[in-house]
Amino acid sequence: MTLRAGAPAPRRRRGPSLPAILSALFWALYLALIGAWLIFPILLVVLASFQGNLEVTWPPGHLGFAGYRAIPGGYWQSFWFTIKVSVGASFCSLLISFPAAWAMVRGRLWERRLFSSLVLLPEIVPQLILGIALLTVFIPLGLSNSFAGVMLGLIALNLAMGLRFGEALLQGLPEEYELAAASLGAGKLTALRLIVLPMIAPGLAIAALFIFMQNLIAFVLLFFIAGPSATPISIRLFTDIIDRGVVPEAIAMSAILVYVAVIFYAAVALALGPRYMAGALMSRKG
Amino acid sequence: MKGGTSLKTGSQPVSLEAVTKRFGEFYAVRDITLRVEAGEFLTLLGPSGCGKSTTLKIIAGLMPQDGGRICFGSRRVDMLPANKRNVGLVFQNYALFPHMTVRENIAFGLRMRGWTRAAQADRVRDLLALVRLEGLGDRKPGQLSGGQQQRVAAARALAFGPDLVLLDEPLSNLDAKLREEVRLDLRDIQRRARQTTIFVTHDQVEALVMSDRIVLMNRGVIEQVGSPRELYATPETEFAARFVGANNLLPGTFLSDGNGPRARAAGLEGPIAANTVASGVGAPDQEVWVCVRPEQIGVERASESPRHAGLASFVARVSDMVFQGTSILIDFQWEGITHVRAERPPEEVAALHPGDEVRLTILGCHLVPRSASRPVEGGIAAYADGGRRYDRSA
Repeated sequence: MTLRAGAPAPRRRRGPSLPAILSALFWALYLALIGAWLIFPILLVVLASFQGNLEVTWPPGHLGFAGYRAIPGGYWQSFWFTIKVSVGASFCSLLISFPAAWAMVRGRLWERRLFSSLVLLPEIVPQLILGIALLTVFIPLGLSNSFAGVMLGLIALNLAMGLRFGEALLQGLPEEYELAAASLGAGKLTALRLIVLPMIAPGLAIAALFIFMQNLIAFVLLFFIAGPSATPISIRLFTDIIDRGVVPEAIAMSAILVYVAVIFYAAVALALGPRYMAGALMSRKG
Repeated sequence: MKGGTSLKTGSQPVSLEAVTKRFGEFYAVRDITLRVEAGEFLTLLGPSGCGKSTTLKIIAGLMPQDGGRICFGSRRVDMLPANKRNVGLVFQNYALFPHMTVRENIAFGLRMRGWTRAAQADRVRDLLALVRLEGLGDRKPGQLSGGQQQRVAAARALAFGPDLVLLDEPLSNLDAKLREEVRLDLRDIQRRARQTTIFVTHDQVEALVMSDRIVLMNRGVIEQVGSPRELYATPETEFAARFVGANNLLPGTFLSDGNGPRARAAGLEGPIAANTVASGVGAPDQEVWVCVRPEQIGVERASESPRHAGLASFVARVSDMVFQGTSILIDFQWEGITHVRAERPPEEVAALHPGDEVRLTILGCHLVPRSASRPVEGGIAAYADGGRRYDRSA
C-alpha cells in the first residue's frame, strides 16, 4: 500500500472503506468464536470417543471403534430405556399440553395467566426439590424405580415446555382461520383437526423435537426417581464415571447420544424444509 | 360482465330486530333494527368503533348478542352457533386455508355438509367459472395474487348456497389500484349470484360504489339508511353530512317565512334557498348547517362578470389548488369560515393561482340540523381517511 503525499482528495466509492473491512473482519471473528464455543465440546466428545481417551491429542492418533465395541449391555439397556421413555413422555405431554394451550388461548379463560404461570413451576422450582417431592409421592404408589414413574416425572417437566410452545403457536395463528371454518359449517373439533393441526404441524414437530432432546439428557429430576430397574442413560453414565472414571465406553455412549440428537434434528429439518428451522417457531404463514 | 354464469344460491331476506350488544356500561350496538331484502347488497358504513363489525360478528354467530332477534327468511338464527347459521364470511385477510388447494378451499363448506365428491366437483367448477379462476383450482392460496385470493374467498363463501354472505372489510389489504378492480369484481359476482350480502367498511367511496343501500352507523346506532345517492345528496344528520363525501358546512339558521325552505348563513348577505332539507329541520330559527358539496360551488375571477347563476355568491381568496386529473380541488380563505373547498374541471380554473381573488357562487345546498352539543366548526369536512378523523374528534 502506498500513500502519495499531495495526492488529490481520495476518490470514494472505490471498494469498501477501511472501517467497513475492519467491521466485517470483526464480525467474522466473532461468529467464528461463537461457533467454536458451541461446537467444540461436541467435536471433542466425538473425537475422544474414537481415541478412547478424553485427553485428545492433535494430530489424532489411534482412532478406532474399540470404545464403541466395549459398550456393555447395561448401557444399551439404559439407552433404549431412555429413548422409549423420552419418546413416550414427549408424545404424552404434547397430547395433554396442546389441547390445554388451545383452551387457554382460544377459550380466553380468565384464569389463563394463573395457569400459565402454574405450569411454569416445574421449570422454576429447582429439580432437586421436585425430585424429592415426586419421590415421596412415588414410593407409596410403587412408582419409583419404574418406567411409568420416570415417564410421569418427565411429563411433569415437559408439560411446561409443551404449553409454552402450544400457546406461542396458537397465538401466532390468526383466529380467522377457525372462524372461517366455523362459518363454513365445521364444529370446533373438526376445525381443530382439519385446519388448526395441519397449519401448526411444523411447529408441533419442532416442539416435539425440543422436548425429546430435553428428555434425552434429563438428569437431576431422574436422579431421584430412577433405580436399578429403571435407569436412564444419563444416570447410568454418571454413576459409572463416578465409580470407574471416564472409561472409553462411556465416552462412546456420550457420542452416540450426540448422534441421536443430530439425527432427530436432521430428520425434522428435512421433513419441514429449511425455513422452519433455525429458530423459526411460527406455523406457516396464511 | 359477458358470459356471466348465474348460480343458484340460498339467498334469504335478513331481518334484525332491536339487536343490542353491551360491554359493561358501553353499548357497542344499540337497538339495531334492519331489513335486508333477498339479493340485496347492503353496506354497514361508519368510522372505527361505530359498531359495524360487532353487528357483523353478531349476525355471523361469532359473538353473542345481549338482546334482540335475527331471522334469515322465517328462520330465527340468533340462538344458533356459527357453524349452523349457513352464513358465508369473507374476512379482511381472506383466511384461506394455506394447506389446501383452491379447489379444496372452495369445497370445504360442501364437505362439511356431506356433499358427494362428484357433486362437490361440479359445484366447485361452477364457482371457479363464476369468479373467473378456471385453471387455478389446483394452486395453493400462497401462489395466487391478492385479487385472486379475494375471489377464492368469495367463491368459498358462496359455494354452499348461504342464506347470507358477510364481507368484513375485504378490500383493505389491497393496494389502491387493485382495490378499485376487486370492488367491481365483488359487486359483479354478487349480482350474478343474486346473493344477499352485507358488506362492512369504513371507506365511504367503497360504500357509494358498491351498495344497493347504505346503513350509516355511529356510536352503536344507525344514523341513516338509504341508497348511495340519497345518502350523498340528502344526509339526515350532521354526522352523515360530514362523513359521506366532502362537504362545506356553513353555520346558519332556518327561516320559515313561507317562501320555501331558506336559511340565513353566516357571511352571506341575503337568505339562501335550499334545494333539499333533512327531515329534522323545520322549526323557526332552528340552528342548521348549510351543506354545500365542493362540486356545487362555481368559481370565477372577481373582476369578471358573473357567469354562474346560483343561490348566493361571495368573494374569497384562493389559498391552495390540488390537481387530481379529472378535476382540481381549490381551497379558499373566506371571512367567517376557515376555508371553503370547490371542485371544478381543470379547463375552467386553469388560469387561477393561489392569492387570486375570486367570486364563489353556491349552485345548490342542503340543510341539516345542527346539534347544540358540538362546537360550531364550519368549513370543509372531507374524510378521505375513512372517517377516522371524525372518530377522534367525537
